[in-house]
Amino acid sequence: MKKKEPTFEERLARLQAIVTALETGDSPLEESVALYKEGLAHAAACREQLEKARHDIRLCTEAGTEPFDAGSQEEDN
Amino acid sequence: MDAILSVRQVTERLRQTVEARFPYVWVQGEVTNLSRPSSGHVYFSLKEDDSLLNCVWFKRQQKDEAFDPLTGEVWEDGPRPSLARTMENGQTLVCAGRLTVYGARGQYQMIVDLAQTAGLGLWHQEFEALKRRLAAEGLFDAARKRSIPREPRKVAVITAPGGAAIRDFIRISSTRGLGSEIRIYPVPVQGEDAPPRIVEALDKAGRDAWAEVVVLIRGGGSVQDLWAFNDERVARAVYRCPIPVLAGIGHEIDHSITDFTADYSAATPSHTAQILWQERHVLAQHVDGLETALQTGLSRRMNTLTLRLEHARRALSLLSPSERMRAQNERLDALMRRMRAGLEQRVEKDARTVETLRAALRAQTSRMDALASTLERLSLRLAGAGEARLQRAEAEVERRKAALLPLGRMTGMAEEKALTRLEARLQALDPFAPLHRGYAMACDERGKLLRSVTQTSPGRAISVMLADGRIFGTVTGTEPSEPDDARQS
Repeated sequence: MKKKEPTFEERLARLQAIVTALETGDSPLEESVALYKEGLAHAAACREQLEKARHDIRLCTEAGTEPFDAGSQEEDN
Repeated sequence: MDAILSVRQVTERLRQTVEARFPYVWVQGEVTNLSRPSSGHVYFSLKEDDSLLNCVWFKRQQKDEAFDPLTGEVWEDGPRPSLARTMENGQTLVCAGRLTVYGARGQYQMIVDLAQTAGLGLWHQEFEALKRRLAAEGLFDAARKRSIPREPRKVAVITAPGGAAIRDFIRISSTRGLGSEIRIYPVPVQGEDAPPRIVEALDKAGRDAWAEVVVLIRGGGSVQDLWAFNDERVARAVYRCPIPVLAGIGHEIDHSITDFTADYSAATPSHTAQILWQERHVLAQHVDGLETALQTGLSRRMNTLTLRLEHARRALSLLSPSERMRAQNERLDALMRRMRAGLEQRVEKDARTVETLRAALRAQTSRMDALASTLERLSLRLAGAGEARLQRAEAEVERRKAALLPLGRMTGMAEEKALTRLEARLQALDPFAPLHRGYAMACDERGKLLRSVTQTSPGRAISVMLADGRIFGTVTGTEPSEPDDARQS
């Protein structure tokens, strides 16, 4: 794998940086448009990451870990 | 043995002895033979193995408890009903009161003033003692509290896998975070087994060094239910855990020793999940906000660039050769207009001057004409006047000659001489004779002889008669002679 998929936080930070650059910077038009496109892509990716986000819940056992299903456990508080 | 005592006397002495010896005592025992007759008094016995103490708790002593009788702490949720109403057989109580003798039954008994469940009371004391000890050791120091990581990706949860706590935790976390790994370290959360198992799980999580945060949670329950979390072993395991520990024990904040020791204590298991992760829709909103800012930023950038382009275009057109030529032309036009205007103004001014001069000249000429004609008239009159006077003088001469003639004839030479003298005198009377000596006569414009400066005035014509002709002029001023001057001349 040459390039690792950026995390949500990385994307968000990049998006924030792009917004700041566009708002305060003095970049040439081509660069501004490129930044804008990159920002849009990050925003879309962030949304997708949010939609797909699920916690992976596992139960530690003697043997290792196994998928955990809260419903299957007996009620013992 | 001085007397035989009556039953009453014995009972009375016994009562006095007992009451004097046990004025106020605390007694712990298990409740038995509990009876609540309609009188409101409560009768029971405290039992321990093969000993029994009868007790009576009179109605007037059964007050609701406004504060904890052991610690003096006021109950925040209001007075609690007296134990007299809630006590049950089999419960272990600590009762306070005095011992007395109940003569009618030949029994000694305890008159209860107040009572406290023994377990709770001891637990409380234990709890407070442990809390003080651990606090002194620094287990609760704020300075050692580590911050709980936000949005952790790896979370260890130590709890009962079938409990309400883990269900609440999972439910709340399902709408939060960005997809974390959650590992549950299963432990019993109450009972004898709980503390060592919790300690074991905490140590294992620390050894695994996998999680960013350890979450120790337990659903709500009675004080006894939560007792495992007041265990010193658990507190020390929390303290030594190399990973930050987030506790969510029961449904009250800072209720257990574990709460005090943890790096952060949440109110409930659900609350721990809220602390760890933001809600996804909040994050989504944040992303939306950034996207909007992105669009605003670009359009502002575009506007700035458009504006700059427009400025540059204007500047360029201002600097172009044609624009420069146009400007120069304009300048030339302006200069020429100014020049023409100046010229016209000058010419007009000169014309006005000429006109003025011309008018003055005309006035002067007409005045000259008038003067000339006046002079003409005057000279005519003067000539006329001189002629008449000459004729009159000649006539006079003739008349006198006629008168003289006889004389002449009579006087001869002498008379001739006299005649010559007379002639000379006559000649002296010639008004024009003085003119030959350099005198002059002045006349006004009508030819009238001027005898005084008052007879003329500046601007009027004047003619001066000399021996050989006339001079015409205009009076430019008059000045009467000073009386002195007149006398001197």
